[in-house]
Amino acid sequence: MPKHIIRLLALILGVVVVAIIAPQFLTVDSFYRFGHYRANSVPEIAALEPVLQTPAYCKDCHTERHAQWSAGSHKSVICEVCHGAALGHPQNGKLPIPKDTAKLCTLCHEAMTGRPRTQPQIQVAQHSGGQQCTVCHNPHSPKIAAAVAKVAGNAAAGKQKSADCAACHGEAGISPNDTWPNLAGQNAAYLARILAAYKSGDQKDVAMTPLAQALGNADIQNLATYYAGLSCKGAAGEKAAGNLAAGKVLAKNCAACHGETGIASNPAWPKLAAQKQGYLANALKAFKAGLRKDPMMAGVSRGLSDTDIADLAAFYAAQSCQSTK
Amino acid sequence: MKKEDSKPTLEARRGFLAKLAGAATCAGAAVGAAALGGIPTVSAKTEAPPDGASFPTKDYDWTKHQWGFGVDATKCIGCLRCVEACKTENDVPRNAHQFRTWVERYVHIEGEEEVHIDSQQDPVNINASGSEKEFRFANRYKDAKVDKAFFVPKLCNHCTHPNCVQVCPTGATYRTKDGVVLIDKTYCIGCRYCVQACPYGARYLDEERGVADKCTWCYHRITKGLQPACVEVCPVGARVFGDQKDKQSPISLFIRNNRVQVLRPDTGNAPNVFYVGIDKEVI
Repeated sequence: MPKHIIRLLALILGVVVVAIIAPQFLTVDSFYRFGHYRANSVPEIAALEPVLQTPAYCKDCHTERHAQWSAGSHKSVICEVCHGAALGHPQNGKLPIPKDTAKLCTLCHEAMTGRPRTQPQIQVAQHSGGQQCTVCHNPHSPKIAAAVAKVAGNAAAGKQKSADCAACHGEAGISPNDTWPNLAGQNAAYLARILAAYKSGDQKDVAMTPLAQALGNADIQNLATYYAGLSCKGAAGEKAAGNLAAGKVLAKNCAACHGETGIASNPAWPKLAAQKQGYLANALKAFKAGLRKDPMMAGVSRGLSDTDIADLAAFYAAQSCQSTK
Repeated sequence: MKKEDSKPTLEARRGFLAKLAGAATCAGAAVGAAALGGIPTVSAKTEAPPDGASFPTKDYDWTKHQWGFGVDATKCIGCLRCVEACKTENDVPRNAHQFRTWVERYVHIEGEEEVHIDSQQDPVNINASGSEKEFRFANRYKDAKVDKAFFVPKLCNHCTHPNCVQVCPTGATYRTKDGVVLIDKTYCIGCRYCVQACPYGARYLDEERGVADKCTWCYHRITKGLQPACVEVCPVGARVFGDQKDKQSPISLFIRNNRVQVLRPDTGNAPNVFYVGIDKEVI
């Protein structure tokens, strides 16, 4: 055989040998174990560490918050939606507490075309006047469940009992003095709640505390029913000193609970329309100073200046107490 | 001149060939010796694991599951927390054009034939969120006369016959035995063939890493008994996930109790994301 043919065959043999041996070194070991891919990449991907940890991870330390959250209407929104992923927490420090809740909450709750009706939605411009949502709502259990006290009293019995109150609150519940509130036409549930608070000591007042302590539970029901049934006509539309226009702008922050003109949407909250200006201003100052205790009012009144309070009081005092409905 | 020049070249070639042959012989001998000697080599590792061992992890056997995903578009509120969670969970680049999951909004306006479609990457929506790194739908239709509007979450369909897998030239993407289409990022060469092939636009090229990327149904979570991140955070239950082999799993119930559709059934891809409450424009 000619030499060059032998060389050629040797070369071909060499190539064949390399072609057989090289894949042993060049192909990744797990390739083709299950198919045309590297099987080891599956456990590699499966071994990545989860970043979101789920509420079960938060529960052990934040027990109280977790309990509150899981009992509330936000239980479908897990912790990490608002606080960020918990991987590395607590070792690497605290998780953020969202500051701009007006932006965060409206991601889900801004009234928007396309959102299903079952989703609770707000008209942002009319709802809170740009306040943070957390002023009124507890983000862990956001539903404002103002306990509506059941009032089933006897108005006639209430009228008899009201003789004790008439000196300050007026015979027909229209107070003769600017610093004492009108009671006529006020929401019964609110009256009953506030009287009970004076009685129990949750709320204190030099004049009201001893009087309320002398009342029985039935008396409270009767009084509340009686005053709620009275006409507030005599109180209507008081002319007041103060900047009504400024008060109206501020009152937008209160509208969600107290109604746009001070006629509360929920009977657990008081009507403010045509209330005494001095009383309103004092009440707001008391909330601000923490003398009257209410978590929601404390939050709302914290940012109000004395001028704001005067303007708000003037605005509500000037409204008609009768619902326009 | 020619001859003088070619002489050293010829010698060099001979030398090279001789060395190559020598190297090949040595390598062959080494492999042969190793195989004969029973020393564990490359080939030994490819054998099936001992009985009882599960794959891919010791607590998770992929032959026992067949994952599926459900989307109830009638529940979606367009809050985009799923998109946010996905970006965080999977380290998806924080920009407005790369997403493993996204949400589309379909709006029919009175008297208009064309349906308006936008997603979180629309400039108007980026403007509303204030940054490319945050996601929010702008309330852009609040003054329009809207006939009908709804949101539709989208993601990789983890098709039974995925054409992205078919076109991959390197075997870097594949379908697992439990029904998840994954990407082997060490084998991906970033050719974008799969990005082009996907009829759902579910893949993108991660320019930073030079590899294709897409939804994995959070394979690292589901193999540990967790839900995918997007399902975990959805506040309204618009996303449903589970094992189709378990007849009581959320996805099995979802498919059984609803009339479900898949996107673009005509492509023959046989998707495994099932939709409720979508219009013909979506499909």
